[in-house]
Amino acid sequence: MITNDAIAPHALAALIDRLAHLLPAQGPISIFIHHNPLHAFEDLPFEEAVERAAERLGCEPFLAEARYRDKLATGRILASDVAALLDQQLGPRAAENVAAIGSRFDLWRAIVLHGIPAAAGRELSWILEETTALSHFRRDLPANARLTSATLREQDDPAGEERRAVRRLWDACLLAVGRAGALAAPATAAAPIRHRDWLRAVSGLDIDSWIHPSLIRFLAGYLDQGLAHWPMPERNRGIHGCFLEIYRSSLAARSGAWARRLPHLVNDDSAAERSALESIANSLDRLGVGEDEYEAYLAAELLALRGWSGIVRQIEERPDRVPARDLTVTLRGYLAVRLLCERSALAHAARRIGYGGSLADIRHWLRDRLTPASPPTNLDRAWPFFHVAQLCGLDASIVEQWTAPQVAQLEAELGELDAMRRRRILHQAFERTIRHRLYDALVQHAPRTLSEPPAFQAVFCLDEREESFRRHLEEVEPACETFSTAGFFNVAMYHQGASDAHPRPLCPVAIRPEHYVAEIEADADELAGRSRRLQRRAAGFLGYNVHLGSRSPFRGAVLMTAFGWLALLPLVLRVVFPWLSSRWRRVRETSVAPARTRLQLDRDDRVPPIGTHSGFTVREMAAIVRRMLEDTGLRDRLSPLVLVIGHGSISLNNPHESAHDCGACGGGRGGPNARAFAQMANDPRVRELLAAERLAIDAGTWFVGAQRNTCNNEVTFFDDDLVPVECQRLVGRAKAAIDTARRREAHERCRRFDAVPRWYPPLAAQAHVEGRADDLAQPRPEYGHATNAFCIIGRRMRTRGLFLDRRAFLVSYDPTRDDDGAILGRIMAAVVPVVAGINLEYYFSYVDPTGYGCGTKLPHNVASLLGVMDGAQSDLRAGLPWQMVEIHEPARLTIVVEGRRDRVSRVVGRDPAIDRFVRHRWIWLACLDPESGELSELRSAGFVAHTPEHALPVVKGDSAAWYQGKRGFLSPVSILPDAAAAGASG
Amino acid sequence: VPGLSLAWLVLVGVGSPAILFAVLGGGSLLNRRLSERWTGSLAAASMLIACAALMSAFLIFSATGTGPRLLSYGDWSTSREGGIALEFLVDRKSLGFAALAAVIAGVVAAFSNRYLHREPGYNRYFALLAMFVTGMLLVALAGNVEVLFVGWELVGLSSALLVGFFHERPAPVSNALRVFAVYRISDAAMLSAAVLLRHVAGTDSLSLLFGGAQAATAAGLSGANATIIAVLLIVAVAGKSALLPFSGWLPRAMEGPTPSSAVYYGSLSIHAGCFLLLRSAPLLEQAPAARVLAGVLGSATALFAAVTTRVQSDVKSSLAYASLTQVGIIVVEIAVGWYRIAFLHLAGHACFRLLQFLSAPNVLHDLHGMENAMGDRPSRSAGWFQTLVSNRMRRDLFLFALERGFLDSVVDRVAVEPFMRAARRLTRLDAWLCGAVLSLRPMTIEAMRDQDE
Repeated sequence: MITNDAIAPHALAALIDRLAHLLPAQGPISIFIHHNPLHAFEDLPFEEAVERAAERLGCEPFLAEARYRDKLATGRILASDVAALLDQQLGPRAAENVAAIGSRFDLWRAIVLHGIPAAAGRELSWILEETTALSHFRRDLPANARLTSATLREQDDPAGEERRAVRRLWDACLLAVGRAGALAAPATAAAPIRHRDWLRAVSGLDIDSWIHPSLIRFLAGYLDQGLAHWPMPERNRGIHGCFLEIYRSSLAARSGAWARRLPHLVNDDSAAERSALESIANSLDRLGVGEDEYEAYLAAELLALRGWSGIVRQIEERPDRVPARDLTVTLRGYLAVRLLCERSALAHAARRIGYGGSLADIRHWLRDRLTPASPPTNLDRAWPFFHVAQLCGLDASIVEQWTAPQVAQLEAELGELDAMRRRRILHQAFERTIRHRLYDALVQHAPRTLSEPPAFQAVFCLDEREESFRRHLEEVEPACETFSTAGFFNVAMYHQGASDAHPRPLCPVAIRPEHYVAEIEADADELAGRSRRLQRRAAGFLGYNVHLGSRSPFRGAVLMTAFGWLALLPLVLRVVFPWLSSRWRRVRETSVAPARTRLQLDRDDRVPPIGTHSGFTVREMAAIVRRMLEDTGLRDRLSPLVLVIGHGSISLNNPHESAHDCGACGGGRGGPNARAFAQMANDPRVRELLAAERLAIDAGTWFVGAQRNTCNNEVTFFDDDLVPVECQRLVGRAKAAIDTARRREAHERCRRFDAVPRWYPPLAAQAHVEGRADDLAQPRPEYGHATNAFCIIGRRMRTRGLFLDRRAFLVSYDPTRDDDGAILGRIMAAVVPVVAGINLEYYFSYVDPTGYGCGTKLPHNVASLLGVMDGAQSDLRAGLPWQMVEIHEPARLTIVVEGRRDRVSRVVGRDPAIDRFVRHRWIWLACLDPESGELSELRSAGFVAHTPEHALPVVKGDSAAWYQGKRGFLSPVSILPDAAAAGASG
Repeated sequence: VPGLSLAWLVLVGVGSPAILFAVLGGGSLLNRRLSERWTGSLAAASMLIACAALMSAFLIFSATGTGPRLLSYGDWSTSREGGIALEFLVDRKSLGFAALAAVIAGVVAAFSNRYLHREPGYNRYFALLAMFVTGMLLVALAGNVEVLFVGWELVGLSSALLVGFFHERPAPVSNALRVFAVYRISDAAMLSAAVLLRHVAGTDSLSLLFGGAQAATAAGLSGANATIIAVLLIVAVAGKSALLPFSGWLPRAMEGPTPSSAVYYGSLSIHAGCFLLLRSAPLLEQAPAARVLAGVLGSATALFAAVTTRVQSDVKSSLAYASLTQVGIIVVEIAVGWYRIAFLHLAGHACFRLLQFLSAPNVLHDLHGMENAMGDRPSRSAGWFQTLVSNRMRRDLFLFALERGFLDSVVDRVAVEPFMRAARRLTRLDAWLCGAVLSLRPMTIEAMRDQDE
């Protein structure tokens, strides 16, 4: 069947491939990679894209209007930003007079700032009859309209006078609308496409709700990666083939009333030996879907179970990313199955509604029975006018004089400035406010350089969670210097830890690594090593058998009767005393983990289990080291000790655990990369090669790899025993500094946890985050990338001492050592897709938590080991859970590059992917001039210089002096170390 | 005085979650909802008190080693035919189960306190949890049919409301309705059994039922009477514990927050039926036919669930059917007469499955850890199933398990559709009659159909 398709590629196949871009691009949940959920719309400008996608996918493009109005009230959006934006967007139209009310600018400004509550039909009648809408003026009136109320206050009977005035205004609005003549009925926004949509619109029957339970069960069983004990039979035949085999039995008809015809349809497909594509074409033909309709119809079919079709597509494209690699998974197979089920269900539905003809014509039959939409009533139309009159402070006498053309003009104006447009403007203003505070800070923050050579240096991942860690480390140890780069440190590899069953790729998802690196045990005591291995195996075997036994009848009965109550011990320990449980786990782990290991980095001839080579050649290692030193600008400024620190996150009861890991490691943990990098940079052969290329590493310089667990803030150092004697004191000093820094960082992080009291002692913070990581009951082990908003590519001196509230991805780059922009080009090519993906994933998951995100975690149910469903059964939920994003602010990423404008625009123009992102404003781009320190933002008209709007506050002491006791977002400030304190610690 | 202190301890144990329910529920009713912090602290305090009281009651009772005792707290209502009294029947079984329920409820409350942090329905959740714990303790300790029935209803109602906890989505609401409908059948059977018991034995006291074989015969519970009451009880138990043919609701009940699924369908509510059966063992012994029925239902359920759990590819359904397997076996153990083993099995299963359910979201982490420790991915094979039967049968068995025994569609066809049809006919009849009586034009069939829609 498959070979058949290969010979005669169907036009359908190409169409399905194209439509697949509409689906979420989220792979298996255990390797979570952040991506832009709207990648299919990246060719459109951001605002247009989100609005179109919202329409197509039934999601929200921006926050609700009320949420923005809350932000206006709390100062997260400034009214001045709204005014500036309107000015910019209206241009010359701003001053025009609209319907003799006033300038367009004033009208729009009043409506955007104060809004017109949406109401129509019965809801409006209720509001008019049951609320005070017709007895009081709005209480949130702008200043100029308040005059009306003020004059009222001088009356004898202000309440009665106000009621009469409001009533008169409302009557005037109704009369004005009446004068203007009737409106046509609105065209139905989205005409039904699928048979199911027509059926639902006319009769209220939803065949999706009939077929989805069975379809989801089948698909989940087919795709299962090892959760069910019995694998589905006939899986080697592909989705469609397997379905035909299993559902051809007459038993299948019992799946529900809708399935009565299913075995017949299945047998028909098998008898005709149809391939999946042929089956789709046949089904569409039977349903009377013409070829001109294919695109819209199939898109709607795919989107009906967006999550499941998405994962099918992901496995089809990257079968190497799931454990069960022997599966044939195709989107066309799924579509074919889906259409078979639908035909069966439609046949049943047709009987229910008394339709006797063929399915091909049922849509015409339904079309005749669809009730048309009715035009808006005069009440509906008068309602917005009533509000406009109040917002603009118009008296009833003015409204009474409105002519029909004026009403029409105003109606057109309100049509342009509809709810969506208002949300768009408010959103843009919101982003502007956030962005401009950063610009202000960067322009005004005085660059800080070290007066003497640094005692040691530390290279981190560019992750925004390291922003606070670096800041605290520099505060603890002013003599240290920190850098950051993509957290795989240019070591792209398949890594297999000493206690890992399988290798996993550790590099950005765009790269398919070639090199395989194993961690091997290097214990001097062979016997102890073997005993540990045995213990580990025994524990694993026991765990697995308990897992299986608990699901089987007889073993289960014995297990439960004899030992069941023992479960109370871990239960109470893990739920009531999570911190103790974390201690206990650590003790247990160190007793069975290999005591000493090494990475096998050197190239050898063994055939690797995955990838093309085992290990790296010396030349490859030199290239890796060289590139990192050049990218970060470290080059010849190396101090005697350089720490290389990757990161990962370990938490319990969290299906989204991998989403907290390192994005640059493809949702893996970056420790092994840091360790490999350090080992390469310490290798004398590598140094020799580099020296020949005029990149000398001093013999006294030592690199140490480490990994930070961003959840419990534990920092693990690798290959401690190899540190040369002369460097050991320095390593000790660095470790002590890191130990203090991680406590302080935990403390800063705790301020965002609602369950932690505001004035939490720093000492307890570390214990708190450790408990959190091991707490079965904790749905927010950490907040991950939430609140990310900025990315700054430049020298640390620009941001050192600047409090950025864990919101900025920081990338080290030295513009003074990059004459042709080559380094900037490769940094941006590697970094921008990753950070933009993270930022947009958070944006959409926050803006529509149930549409783009996966909703609340509480009812999540892991399905097929691939993703989560809501409760008993649902579509597979892509995106991030609400508990991960709840403190986020949805704003597009602002990337500030330190560099001259011309060079930055040249670099951006050279990379089509980044250029598209920037041109369509999926990200904001600004330049910080390395010499003058002037900042300019890229707008449609080119770079525009930014003049600071607010002064940058300076806080004396350390970061805690600024954040302690505060819960919400904090604006950037300069942290100026206390001279006295610095002297004491130095 | 040991008698007094025991009565007090039991009262405090049951009363403390009841008071919590009253406070949280009352607050919501009066639109004075407590803050999250207050709710959490109150819940913790109340559960702690219940745990401590019931555990000490159990210890005291075990230490003194007296026989079953009826603790009476006065009458709720009295009449000539006999009133409704608030009575608890304490023995080692009932106190043991009550203490276990209190400990489990305490652990779940501690879990939920953090798990539901910042959830808009936090208050509602704890009110329902308190309602459930009260109901569960009443079922465990009930000394007469009325108390048992009240507890049984509280468990059922809170269960359905928690399945529909996320009421902004349609699926939880419709699944909650389904669960509730099955529970009503179970409740009806329970009520009939209670009325019959009172009619036959002339008393509502459960000490007759639970007290021992002699008591049962003395009250004239034997032969046909005993069989009818026992069968009704088994129907009630089958509904509550999801035995065949009611098993279809169990996977649907997984809609609520993870801890509520855990405490209801992994741990306590699912065993309420088994416990009731265990308590009414003396009655069962008088009714051999009912014992056979229980044995058959239990073993059929265990077999069905054991097969079904093996093909479930989502963790909660897999655990739900795994639970059901053990519940079926426990019912068989009771039918056979292994009461002590059944009780140990029940208690052990309640603890173990709770842990498994609460850590269900951890399944990826756990399996990954086991795989690493064992050094390889454990091979999945269908075992005997693969080798013994033909391909055709294998596929059919798989389909049967995948579609969960087609129970839902069978119930739809056998019960739901005829019921709805009958209801529609009655509506029509009603309209026709009214029309005739009021001498108005009878409604046309079409108009009525429109009304139905």
